[in-house]
Amino acid sequence: MSSVLGTVRAADSGADAGDDPEARWSWAAGARRRPVIHAAARRTLGRRRRAGRLVQALCVLCAAIGLAPLVALVYYTAERGLGGLSIGFLTHAPVPVGIPGGGISTAIVGSAEIVGLALVMAIPVGLMAALFLHERRGHLAGAIRFGADLLTGVPSIVIGIFAYALVVRPLHHFSDLAAAFALAVLMLPIMIRADEEAMRTVATDLWEAGVALGARRSRVARSVVLRGALPGLVTGNLLAVSRGVGETAPLLFTVAAPSFAMTLLIYTEGTEPFPAAQQTAWSTALLLLLFVLVLSGVARLVAWHLTRRAR
Amino acid sequence: MTARTSAASAVSVKEALRRRHARRGGRGYAAARWAAAGLFLAVLLGLVVSIAIDSSQALAHSGIGFLWSGTWNPTANDYGAGILVVGTIVTTFVAMVIVVPVGLGMAAFLSELAPRWLAGSLSTAIELLAAVPSIVVGLWALLVLSPLFANYLEPFLKAVPGLEWFFHGPAYGPSILLASVVLAVMTLPTVVALSRTALSGVALADREAAMALGATHWQVVREVVFPGARSGIAAALTLAVGRALGESIAVAMVVGNSPAIPHSLLSTGATLGSAIVNQFAEAAPGIGTSSIIALAAVLLVLTLAVNAGGQALLRAMRPGRPGRAAGAG
Repeated sequence: MSSVLGTVRAADSGADAGDDPEARWSWAAGARRRPVIHAAARRTLGRRRRAGRLVQALCVLCAAIGLAPLVALVYYTAERGLGGLSIGFLTHAPVPVGIPGGGISTAIVGSAEIVGLALVMAIPVGLMAALFLHERRGHLAGAIRFGADLLTGVPSIVIGIFAYALVVRPLHHFSDLAAAFALAVLMLPIMIRADEEAMRTVATDLWEAGVALGARRSRVARSVVLRGALPGLVTGNLLAVSRGVGETAPLLFTVAAPSFAMTLLIYTEGTEPFPAAQQTAWSTALLLLLFVLVLSGVARLVAWHLTRRAR
Repeated sequence: MTARTSAASAVSVKEALRRRHARRGGRGYAAARWAAAGLFLAVLLGLVVSIAIDSSQALAHSGIGFLWSGTWNPTANDYGAGILVVGTIVTTFVAMVIVVPVGLGMAAFLSELAPRWLAGSLSTAIELLAAVPSIVVGLWALLVLSPLFANYLEPFLKAVPGLEWFFHGPAYGPSILLASVVLAVMTLPTVVALSRTALSGVALADREAAMALGATHWQVVREVVFPGARSGIAAALTLAVGRALGESIAVAMVVGNSPAIPHSLLSTGATLGSAIVNQFAEAAPGIGTSSIIALAAVLLVLTLAVNAGGQALLRAMRPGRPGRAAGAG
């Protein structure tokens, strides 16, 4: 703060600096004042303002650079993927390279099965664990919160290895079940934290009123907590799904063949040197991207609707 | 209300409580909650224990030197994670060199400069970038960025005087540099979203105090806002590092997968994640598989340490516990 303090010391008397353009950047409307600035301070003010403008330009540049990858990603995926999309692409099974036609129906069905099964495993556990956190305090609740935060950061490939060791090896074969288990482990911490966050928006008074009426805890949970938190629950779980759908690494060690999951198909076809295979990869990637973006769009819409209604 | 009716109601409350406990399903709910909480902790514990057990065979075979030994030669049954750890750290470090200035600049733009409508739509765009599956980023990097890097960017970087030590050797496209750029793209949303929250959280009164002292807008941001948001920004960067360390599939597509110490940013390399992706299918049963799982164990320890640090920083940022809802159950 030395330069700022120096300026203030110099500003005890002197000419009016005029309407300060910096005031336009201020957060509070009341900050628009006419500072009294000494001639010596005015010289440093010019330098300080030039530095400010330079940094502003750099910040705008950073924002543009940061936005560029998203634009480029969406543009290239759409440009290269659109050409391969057709009804047949969605409904036909994959064919070997070199044979025209074929689609990715097995991969779409496989991905839907895996994610569906993962949701069946993860959503009830996530909800009940969140209710546990909602109604209990103490070390166990703290441990679950911290554990969920840590598990969110565990690399998905490590979770894939875990599913391999726990499900694939004992059963002696790759399966959708193992893949679904891996995705469930991956989504569970996100769901728990999002569910708990949603339940926290329900007023404690309502919960207490429900219990005071003599209703069972399960009844209060169902009719007060879950109902009140429903939009938040939908948003959080949809976001968890969109993360699960896009995962590839855990499926590498759990799914029987690449043609049984969209993300694996993108990986194997995309790393082939043949244009036809790469076309399949781009089109599958476009489908996946559309699905994930629509899903997070819907999640955001639900959240927005909720906040608007609450006002 | 007379004394008699209140006494009667006290009895009926007792009776109601007794009936409530006897009712079917009342205990089932409590049991289900405990089961879910226990199941989650069991999964967490199971993850750590199962990976520790499965990697113990490899550690017994290679000794503790597994962690730094530089050879990865499955045909000679000689396994070491050293090169892969170096590759992981180098790609993560270069990614951070790229993403920290860009991400903090963007966060400062969103929090301090942009009008509200622009900040809102840019934030949504960044959240969408976070939702893009890593495999799509990998595909884009492999088929679009890689030729651009090989033909334009890498020859250009080689020609820049003074940077020969960083950029030399043939320009293939797939390289440590490209992998780092991919990681930078994938960690950008984490850095921007969390830093922006931290920057916006600095109190208005602090900013106004600095403005009243005659600070220009940039001086307020530099001297008040960034120091005030320090712990939040540190948490954002730590969590981004954790994410970069653990990313595997997109890196495996563009890093080149040659298990050798990289001599320049243009040379190919390998990371822990990319090695697991590429080696797992061919791994020999027994020691081979166990060594791969040991790589996962190293990765797990690295990311857990980094993320625990990040979470500690996040918690330090919010004084007091997060608000608790309803009472004891």
